[in-house]
Amino acid sequence: MNAKQIHRFVERYLEATGCTILEKSPVHFKVKLSPAADRELTNRPYYWSFVDRTGVEPETMSLLLVTDAAKYDAMTAEAESAGAGAGGPQGGAAEQAGMAALSRSFGFVPTGLGTRMPRDDLHFGSRRLEQLFAAARRGGRFVCLFQQPDERALHPYDSAPCTPWLGVNVKVGFVCDMKREEMHAFGVSLATGTVVERFFDRLQGLKLSPRLPANVHVTGASLSLKKAADLIEQALLQKLKTYDYGWAAAANERLKEELARLAHYYEPLLKETDDKQREQIAAQYEARKEEILWQLKPRVVTEIVNAGVFHLSGLA
Amino acid sequence: MHPIQRPDRRASGTGKTPHPDVEFEFDRTWVDELAERAARNGPWDDWTLFALAVEAERAKLVTSFDELQALRCLPAFEPMPHQIATARKVLHEMGGRAILADEVGLGKTIEAGLILKEYIVRGLVRRALILVPASLVLQWVRELNQKFGIPATAQKKAHSWHSDFVVASLDTAKREPHRELLLSNDYDMLIVDEAHKLKNKKTSNYQFIQQLRKKYCLLLTATPVQNDMDELFNLITLLKPGQLGGQSDFAANFVADKRLPKNEDRLQEALSAVMIRNRRSDGGISFTKRIVRNIEVKLSPEEKALYDAVTGFVRQRYDESGRDLASMLSLITLQREVCSSRDAVFLTLVNLFKKTAEDSPMRSKIWELVEFIRRIQANSKAEKALEIIRTTNDKTIIFTEYRATQEYLLQFLKQHGIHAVPYRGGMNRGKKDWMMDLFRGRAQVLVATEAGGEGINLQFCHHMINFDLPWNPMRVEQRIGRVHRLGQTNDVKIYNLYTTGTIEEHIVRLLHEKINLFEMVVGELDDILERLEREEQPLEQRLARLVLESDGDADIRRGIDALGRSINRLRADAKRSPKSSLDSVLPVLSVVPDGADAAAEARP
Repeated sequence: MNAKQIHRFVERYLEATGCTILEKSPVHFKVKLSPAADRELTNRPYYWSFVDRTGVEPETMSLLLVTDAAKYDAMTAEAESAGAGAGGPQGGAAEQAGMAALSRSFGFVPTGLGTRMPRDDLHFGSRRLEQLFAAARRGGRFVCLFQQPDERALHPYDSAPCTPWLGVNVKVGFVCDMKREEMHAFGVSLATGTVVERFFDRLQGLKLSPRLPANVHVTGASLSLKKAADLIEQALLQKLKTYDYGWAAAANERLKEELARLAHYYEPLLKETDDKQREQIAAQYEARKEEILWQLKPRVVTEIVNAGVFHLSGLA
Repeated sequence: MHPIQRPDRRASGTGKTPHPDVEFEFDRTWVDELAERAARNGPWDDWTLFALAVEAERAKLVTSFDELQALRCLPAFEPMPHQIATARKVLHEMGGRAILADEVGLGKTIEAGLILKEYIVRGLVRRALILVPASLVLQWVRELNQKFGIPATAQKKAHSWHSDFVVASLDTAKREPHRELLLSNDYDMLIVDEAHKLKNKKTSNYQFIQQLRKKYCLLLTATPVQNDMDELFNLITLLKPGQLGGQSDFAANFVADKRLPKNEDRLQEALSAVMIRNRRSDGGISFTKRIVRNIEVKLSPEEKALYDAVTGFVRQRYDESGRDLASMLSLITLQREVCSSRDAVFLTLVNLFKKTAEDSPMRSKIWELVEFIRRIQANSKAEKALEIIRTTNDKTIIFTEYRATQEYLLQFLKQHGIHAVPYRGGMNRGKKDWMMDLFRGRAQVLVATEAGGEGINLQFCHHMINFDLPWNPMRVEQRIGRVHRLGQTNDVKIYNLYTTGTIEEHIVRLLHEKINLFEMVVGELDDILERLEREEQPLEQRLARLVLESDGDADIRRGIDALGRSINRLRADAKRSPKSSLDSVLPVLSVVPDGADAAAEARP
């Protein structure tokens, strides 16, 4: 993700969660969070439980989100030199001293505790961006959407049929002591059981709405969601069968070696020692074997990122 | 933050698999919830967030087994090539279990942080436990947060153990009730700093680490072998039992004598699978230069008078005591202090006065010395130091051996409008950090009495004044090491102040001209001093004897020359003979890449 993509991402997140953008440029946002976004991003569970219990009007936080730190700094430096001396950052030194004092007892203070408009630089891998990623994931798990029919093509008294599809975004991990990942988007027609790939990309081209449009009717689903999930699993398995598993064979080889090495170390030790100690050593041996399996055993794991029911008119 | 699930643990295995070499598991945790929401017709999430979630996951996707993903997440900081090479090797060839045994100052912490970050980015580590000496806890927390964006917390209360990334002291962790709690957990990664504390398998440290359940494990130590071969065996067994065979195999195959390895090639091969040791002398690790200047200070007549009086006093006592060096400690201190400041001398004299019996003739002699002190108006050295500080007009650290001198200097600099702060061993952690913050910020000068101990990393400063020189060269090296380390981008300027016509002049000559201390590498110096001690007395004692027994300046000069010669002989010996200890096996474990390679690897 480059700075531009991050900027676009942040903008869409802020809009989707109803935040008030106070100021923006191509490299930053100043934003007053909506209650929903504040709950996700500011890590103030006690405050929010207080608001929930007492029903007071919540005071949400404002953030300065910088999506391109270098350009933003250049921009502000320029602005500052232009309006030289016009109300520079008052009390900056005192604030810094305060932060330094906090960091002495905690080792580290996340930027922007105590300051009124904390600044976050949102480079890829930064904690705030990670948090936005996680918030998007939590806030976008399950959807149910309807395709808006193309209005011009439709006679006003007609009703267009649309078919329900299950769409699933799944992350596949190929794991031993290292890991590689892939994303797949499967769609299953709940009417026919047809399975398609790259389903998410198809969706992105469509106009989707959470409400059933007026002149559209939904055809019945003949498949349960459970059955549809089975079909996706099958399709994924079929796909995965065509992959190369040299990495897994190599990992198994290493696993075998490691286990042999362990046996070479522990088995003579078990023979030599008396009963009382043997138990201890046997337990240790077991624990080591467990650890090695945990570390090396090759496996393919899946994780559903999100899923939804999509009522589409184009596809059967 | 939100434990959805832990997909990295072993798949439970449904029997279905795309290939016999792997286990496969299909995530079904979502089916019921989606079905329930569909049945109740909601609540449904937002389509934009749904799309953003997919976009985020795509951006985070780890598309390759090999490429270091962590590097693209660290815009604020660029690891050195040898650190990246080390991380790569641990990840790709060692499966995340390794001993990082770089020499001091090459950034073992950075290497460990890099490896941890990579596993986190890949989703292979969600929980890590980092055990370090108590004095390093906050420093680790700071480095992990600031350099790597890893949300590490220092263990302070019982509940901090539940954080995903905890830094704690080994001594706390191994005690109940913490011990039981930690042993009941699984840690994706365990990091132990200063791991040479784990050499003896009978200790509680060792047994505790052995019992912890961990997937990946990094042990950090600059001295993997201190005394005998068994230590090495124990350390490696902790990490990978059987790597060096069973205990008896090890003894038969690799041990010639307690301290002497055999079959070095095979041993080295076995070690290289679990240990990485980068050395300063390896190519590709470059330090800035050290520029040493010896600054001559002429004593005022009053100061010279005090120096002579104290020297006379000390020698007289020495002769009276029947030349017994052991009973002379405080007097030798006096002899050294007189080169530093009258304040230091005065304090020692007062203590000496209190200790002597009331009717002792010593008392009147001590009073005479105090009279000499009284006559001194100014400290010539301090004025010289002030001159240097004013000309550099930059952050400067002043080292002195004596507390009283430190107080005096702080006062003196303050009078001359220079903002200086103290640093000493007796301060607690918080105060030390505070002084560091001040020095980093507004203060221009740091006056320090202590150079040892971690935690003073002063890369931002490159001027250093040795107000007085310790007689132990290791302490000098420690002082320099605070400033001259990885991350220092400027050449380091070292100013040694010495007073003419005193023992100091000779010490500077010995350290600088004769043994060229300032250009030696740490390990080398250590080795030589150890040899010196084995053959004769420690260097400090030999210097003391020289001062106390010589007849005049020319005699001292001859003594110093002889000392310099014997040190240089030892040095030549050290270079010629293969080292006595295991070090002959360790050096080749470095991963420093060639220059071209290094440049290419810095950023993908």
